[in-house]
Amino acid sequence: MNFSLKSTLLSAIGGAMILSSALSASADELSDRVNAGEPIRLGFATAIPWAYPGDNGEPLGFVNALTLVVLEEMGITNYETSVNEWAGLIPGLQANRYDIVTGGMYILKSRCENMNFSDPIGLFGDAMLVPAGNPKGINNYQDVIKSGATLVTGAGFNTVEAAKKEGVPESQMMLVAGEVEILAAMKAGRADAAVQTFFGAKEHVEKSDGAFEVTDPADMPKWTQNWVGIGMRKSDPDFLAAFNEAMAKVIGGEKWMAATAPYGYTEFQLPGEDASTEYACANR
Amino acid sequence: MEWRWDFTWEILPRMLWATGNTLMAAGVGYLIAVIVGLLLMLGQRTPYRLVNFIVREVVEFIRSTPLLVQLFFVFFVAPQFGIKLSAWTAGMLTIGLHFGTYLSEVYRGALEGVPKAQWEACRALNFTTAYTYRKIVLPQAFPIALPGMGNYLVGIFKDTPLLATIGVAELMHTANALGAETYRYLEPYTMVGFIFLIISLPTAMGLRRLEAAVDRAQGKTRY
Amino acid sequence: MSYLEFLSEYLPKLVSGAGMTVMVMICATVLAVVISIIFGLMRLSSNFTIQTAATVYIEFFRGTSLLVQLYWIYYVLPLMGLTLSPFVSGVLALGLNFGAYGAEVFRGGIQSVPRGQYEAAIALNMSPAKRMLRIIIPQTFSLILPPAANLTVELLKATALVALITVVDLMFVAKQLNATTWLSAQVFGTTLIVYYVMARFGLIPFLRSLEGRAARMVGKS
Repeated sequence: MNFSLKSTLLSAIGGAMILSSALSASADELSDRVNAGEPIRLGFATAIPWAYPGDNGEPLGFVNALTLVVLEEMGITNYETSVNEWAGLIPGLQANRYDIVTGGMYILKSRCENMNFSDPIGLFGDAMLVPAGNPKGINNYQDVIKSGATLVTGAGFNTVEAAKKEGVPESQMMLVAGEVEILAAMKAGRADAAVQTFFGAKEHVEKSDGAFEVTDPADMPKWTQNWVGIGMRKSDPDFLAAFNEAMAKVIGGEKWMAATAPYGYTEFQLPGEDASTEYACANR
Repeated sequence: MEWRWDFTWEILPRMLWATGNTLMAAGVGYLIAVIVGLLLMLGQRTPYRLVNFIVREVVEFIRSTPLLVQLFFVFFVAPQFGIKLSAWTAGMLTIGLHFGTYLSEVYRGALEGVPKAQWEACRALNFTTAYTYRKIVLPQAFPIALPGMGNYLVGIFKDTPLLATIGVAELMHTANALGAETYRYLEPYTMVGFIFLIISLPTAMGLRRLEAAVDRAQGKTRY
Repeated sequence: MSYLEFLSEYLPKLVSGAGMTVMVMICATVLAVVISIIFGLMRLSSNFTIQTAATVYIEFFRGTSLLVQLYWIYYVLPLMGLTLSPFVSGVLALGLNFGAYGAEVFRGGIQSVPRGQYEAAIALNMSPAKRMLRIIIPQTFSLILPPAANLTVELLKATALVALITVVDLMFVAKQLNATTWLSAQVFGTTLIVYYVMARFGLIPFLRSLEGRAARMVGKS
């Protein structure tokens, strides 16, 4: 996905062949396609520093970075990107618009019912973004409920489910499309606090020149510590197995850490030996 | 994928509540548009040519650019200048301004549709400007403006889903949220389409009836 | 960063996004024109079924919101087995929606051709097809071009919505630039200007020249 005129024309010609190109290949085994040399399609949303597009559409962010390391280990260097709204990532995967979700999705039971996840790529926590000085003293969901504050988060984020579980009333929830809109809402004072991933919150603090601060992720409920996996269709189990095999070889290794270091990923994020997708699916 | 009726009934309350929001958004937006349209039209008929020119250019600019971009502009830029508006207010004002420019054109066309002779007769009879407008011009301009005004009422209603992109909790936004929460898109999106249909079709028919009634009251037959 | 610096760095990207916008608009316009003519003629048919089918189509697509139709084609059709690319989904939604409006305009145009023309054609022993092709439709063009021009400008503006289904058009590029630079005023302001330039100095003069040609074609100039 680059912005050149050539790709514009190519996509237009492709679009013009409406009848022939309209019906995309119905769930070809991903492995077959990739082995035949076709590019693998990465799907993600704009969520700095997790995954976001570069100036020419190249996949940036640490989830993309480590995915590319694993793909390289599998011998796959041919890839394309698809930038989506977060809430559209899972339906897009199921509609075969791309092949793997590298947005940095937490492994949750509700998601496991609709897709497969690779082995965990890391353990991450959530945090709240509040105005500098934390005037309303909000550090977790219970504080939000008590203070009657408006909490903003993204549609389809794990935090929506988490907030509901903690009992935050819908009247206090504000849903926007994604990370960018969350910061815009906070800047405009439309919400008193935002809840998102710790990494996302730190990024927002940086972008806002100190107008906001991040709460301590340790103040959030223990079960909001989540594992992230690479999302795949349930109909591509062979690819999943191959991916996990390759990942086991490179996780935490030199290439992995070097690729993710620029985005702030450190050894503290590594999932550890006993982390497993089955556990996450069952317990989150 | 199978349609699940149990899921449909489950989400219906939330969808209906959102429909109320949508109707309110459309209603308030339209009121703003009606008033803004009037101001913009009058702003093109001032005795100062520079003012007329500027207002005209502003109207053309807003009319020729997408509402979606305008919404994003207001949503992201206003806070950067210290103007803090809730998503609702920002959305209402933007949609009101956008459709206000359309309505100003409708009003302009309606005023120009009143025969020049009417204006001249008023001048000859020494009516004040206010009286001219109130008793002679506006009653004749109104039926001409009515179809356009009616169209844009339905149009504003159908453009409210754009407000979802800036976080306003209307119908489309709720459908998106439900889809993201439950991973079922079939029922929410189909229901949204259906709800729009059952609101806009009767409204359009009602408007056509209203136009016919106004024409008959004016003594013009339609068919 | 001054505005000029901003422009020199980011304007090329916005313009390439605009290229996609134009692509979407042209494809959607072609589809809309085809649908307008087909359904406009269907509405005029004396066959009740055909006429009703056309009316249902037109009222359905005019009565529902374009964004809803767009999301439905993009998110729901795949659930029924039909996954269209974002570009095709966008063009399809725009074409179907504006085709419905265009059908009414086309129908209105055909009905506005003076009855005398029909009668003269019959008197001259022209077959119905010849009558349509050589007499009615050319006159229809000059009648429908003004409202059709309005619809085309509306279509250009409506293409911004396809950014919401991941088509990399001007709106999409603007959103991305905003996400990475947060120079919202410059990004969205310039985007508005680009759309304005496309509409006011590109599309409208082109449509005016078409109107002129159509008028000359039927002898009114």
